Amino acid sequence: MKPSAKNPLAAAPPAIKRVIKPKREPASRFYGTPLPGVKEEELSGSLIVLEGTDGSGRSTQIALLTEWLESEGFAVQTMGLRRSFLVADDIDALLAENAVTRLTLALMYGTDFFDQLERRILPALRSGLVVLADRYIYTLIARSAVRGIGRDYLHGIYEMALRPDITFWLNVKPEVAFDREFKKSHTINYWESGRDMSLSNDLFRSFIRYQSLIRKEFEYLSRRHGFIDVDGEASVATVNNQLRKRIAAHLGIRSTRYHPSHALAHVWR
Amino acid sequence: METTPGTAAPGPVRPAEKSRTPKRDYPGALVVVEGIDGSGKSTQLYLLKRWLEIGGYRIHFTEWNSSPLVKSATRRGKQRRLLTPTTFSLLHAADFADRCERQILPLLQGGYLVLADRYIYTAFARDVARGCTAHWLRNLYRFAPIPDITFYFRAPLDVAVNRIVAGRPKLKYYEAGMDLGLSLDRAESFRIFQERILSYYDRMVESDRFVLMDGTVPVNRLQKQMREILGDRIPLAQFAPKKP
Repeated sequence: MKPSAKNPLAAAPPAIKRVIKPKREPASRFYGTPLPGVKEEELSGSLIVLEGTDGSGRSTQIALLTEWLESEGFAVQTMGLRRSFLVADDIDALLAENAVTRLTLALMYGTDFFDQLERRILPALRSGLVVLADRYIYTLIARSAVRGIGRDYLHGIYEMALRPDITFWLNVKPEVAFDREFKKSHTINYWESGRDMSLSNDLFRSFIRYQSLIRKEFEYLSRRHGFIDVDGEASVATVNNQLRKRIAAHLGIRSTRYHPSHALAHVWR
Repeated sequence: METTPGTAAPGPVRPAEKSRTPKRDYPGALVVVEGIDGSGKSTQLYLLKRWLEIGGYRIHFTEWNSSPLVKSATRRGKQRRLLTPTTFSLLHAADFADRCERQILPLLQGGYLVLADRYIYTAFARDVARGCTAHWLRNLYRFAPIPDITFYFRAPLDVAVNRIVAGRPKLKYYEAGMDLGLSLDRAESFRIFQERILSYYDRMVESDRFVLMDGTVPVNRLQKQMREILGDRIPLAQFAPKKP
């Protein structure tokens, strides 16, 4: 996968070695030009993002955080990938057919993202809700970047997106992610193993190589955007404590004490 | 894995600058027509296409309309009026990306003369008129090959609008720009919307090297001009039928 220098869509090699300091106090809640018609000062809610590969424990943590926040009296809205009313079903159909180019797919995911952002997330933030995002633009950027689409092109598309208040990266080794995914669904997803990229005919190897590429992108994005790198291999309770502590500080919640309800007790291990 | 060939220009050039120079790393050629509704562009391109077809040239004609890929999403969005300027724009970009990567680029690489009725400038003009930023749009469409010729058909607003309003019983919601709340009257909303589009088209004449065509000139005379310009700018012999 040698990106060509001629091509504006080709990904430049990740500048991982360069130290990019995250901006401490972002001037704007948007990365670049805000979405047309959005007034920042109206957005009183908080946007908290959980990033991480499949098998990193995102959904479990979001279920726990939702319960904790609600018990603390905060209303929660969630978002994720392929959850828009507008195009979620169409993306499912495209993925099933596997007859779509990477660029079209990237733009469909972009449509899905902005539909959720404009029609669900911004209204929630205007009403002062806490939005928990199960993945965000970073996964979308990373997936497309490893497929050879230029990073500046992708960042350009998402420059109108809202900058999260906190981004957690549940960081797990590809091997651990593989074990967890296999335990859960007894197979490995076609796209999550990057099978469209012809990395290897061997499913396991393809998964590891693909997830390693994605992880490298995340290391770069983490520096650039100041992620909080959380050891996703630690126990659910340990990870959850870390997340709660950081979120409590942001929202001004004094106590971070929490015991999952009976309904969620089974994930607390 | 291969990277997308035939795209605009290298590296970190500012999007506005990169669109000016056609980059030809393919043997084909791309000719597009642009202009507001009712400017006469489709008629002229049709006549040009017929002329080339009859002459046996290697051509392909493509239109700016929805492929099956996004048809259901567009329909859902339009029927229930869910589209925002951003999602409207992205959905059309996804659709165009599909056509570009699966049709236009392979044809250009295969040495075809590709004729396009509307191209990325339609998206620029229409989406800027809806409130998207030009800078964001330029980036969004960076993957599109730059046309060898862009014929811009310009007719006075009243002429163009009257042609459309007279010929169509009912203007559609998004077509008339009703989502922008310009006017409660569809015909009036359409007029204001087209006026905005027209003014952005005019701004692109220089930056995107449009060839200005006067839409009020009689059809046959305009067609003659178009054929002459095409012959001057494109080595047509390259696309001519091979003699045995």
